[in-house]
Amino acid sequence: MPSAVLAPSVCILEALRGDPSQRPRRDTTTATGLRAVLEDGLFAISHGNRRTTPLVVGPDHVTTGVDVIDITHATYGRLRGALVAQLVRHYAIGYHPEDPFDAAVRAWTIETPAGELTTALADLDDNARSRLATDVSAHAVCLRRALAETPVGWTVRTAVRTRLRLGGGDVVLRDTLDLVVGTADRATTSVVLVDVTTAPIGERTDAALRYHALTHTLRTSVTPLRAATFSTATGTLTSHEVDYPLLGRAVDELLDTMGRRWAT
Amino acid sequence: MSTLAVRRLTPTSLADVIDDGPDVGSTITDAHRHALAARFRAVAIDRHRRLDAWSVERAGRESPPFRWSPATARRLIGNAALGRVADGVRTPRLGVELEIADLRARAETGRTRPGSLGSWLADRHPAELAVVHAAAADWATTIAEIGAGLGTSWRVARADAYYDVERARTTLRARRDLIVATDAAVVRVRGGHPSSSAGAGLRADLVAATFASADGRAPRRYVGVWPDAGLVVAVDGSMENLRAGARDLVRTAVVQRRQWLRAA
Repeated sequence: MPSAVLAPSVCILEALRGDPSQRPRRDTTTATGLRAVLEDGLFAISHGNRRTTPLVVGPDHVTTGVDVIDITHATYGRLRGALVAQLVRHYAIGYHPEDPFDAAVRAWTIETPAGELTTALADLDDNARSRLATDVSAHAVCLRRALAETPVGWTVRTAVRTRLRLGGGDVVLRDTLDLVVGTADRATTSVVLVDVTTAPIGERTDAALRYHALTHTLRTSVTPLRAATFSTATGTLTSHEVDYPLLGRAVDELLDTMGRRWAT
Repeated sequence: MSTLAVRRLTPTSLADVIDDGPDVGSTITDAHRHALAARFRAVAIDRHRRLDAWSVERAGRESPPFRWSPATARRLIGNAALGRVADGVRTPRLGVELEIADLRARAETGRTRPGSLGSWLADRHPAELAVVHAAAADWATTIAEIGAGLGTSWRVARADAYYDVERARTTLRARRDLIVATDAAVVRVRGGHPSSSAGAGLRADLVAATFASADGRAPRRYVGVWPDAGLVVAVDGSMENLRAGARDLVRTAVVQRRQWLRAA
């Protein structure tokens, strides 16, 4: 499975789009097979028993075992991630605020209903808020350099949501992709998925990346060209060509996760 | 019996769903209009009511009060932006930029009502506007991609269809985003996942659109697309579906009347 770690000076979207003449033909058949494998696997887990409440699965569940505490999932990390995700939306349409923290908070507040994280932000004392502001601003510098100016003619979507049901609604697969570049209505595969993380890239990042590729394939019935994760902590990019082995591994990981969490 | 067609959203499934519909939609007469008006007059209330697919899907339960947000503004701006693209603007993203600028200019010159989208946009901080811009551009791109999969001529609906029921203080609203091949089919797009009452919602839209049309002809198919879930749900423009949809709308009016009487 080819992967690449690029220098931070490279515009990541430019690098991910690659040479258009080298792109494979659009694959619209793999999704059906993947869905069948998932449904069969889910039946083997449930033995035909129905749940009273759906099992909700997201990328965090695939990457984190039930007994593992991941420090990046702590409230502070989630808050930072949510704010940086707003900056991705800003930069994608060419808006570059002077004060990234203030802009991210404003954008996030207008879009997000009151909840655990909004309360956490409101409850921060002055020191903690300043620390978060400095942290977000540092990530913003890295992000801005990597995204550069997105050409206005490119098809770029931000915060792309997925809500898929499996097993007659017993399982709900949830996902939100920070950036999706390209459209599925071409004869060749041209869609690139980008997940922006504020944590360093590790093994778990790859599992999340595979999950993004799988849910996108199931949702659109078209296999994307590449899936990538960009870390604003280290300025590095990991990308994978999306092919059947990658999607097959994502299916195995998802079934493993559902098996672990079915009884919960 | 009213039937529901459910398909996975693939690059070609939308065109197939429309092709599978009847050759022509049913036509309503003045007798149908009078009969519907009589039903609504029988459940009169002392204020004006507006019924749509959403109120039918919620079985008449009160919705939370409407407020503008990027999620509620994206459709209006995104569809208008696509209209601009049809008029020669190069990309949906540019169309969104022009549309927002136009709405704000109208508000600043006092040509909008308080509480309207233009007034709301005029009061927004640039960081908040940027998120509205991103959300509307995402919407426009998604609609354009769905339209490209239709394989036939289509246009963006400039507004929803409204029908004022004669002397019943009732307005029916049909949500619509794409008009396919001169009213042969209507496509409406929603976020999230279709609920178990999605079919009833589509039939309510079908009724409102048919009654709102001057010649009383139903579209061949009324199609709901849920891109987040990768699903397409469609109903035929048959007399059975029109009757079922009208019954659901009247039932919703009955439930709402009961709630209002209880609250009074």
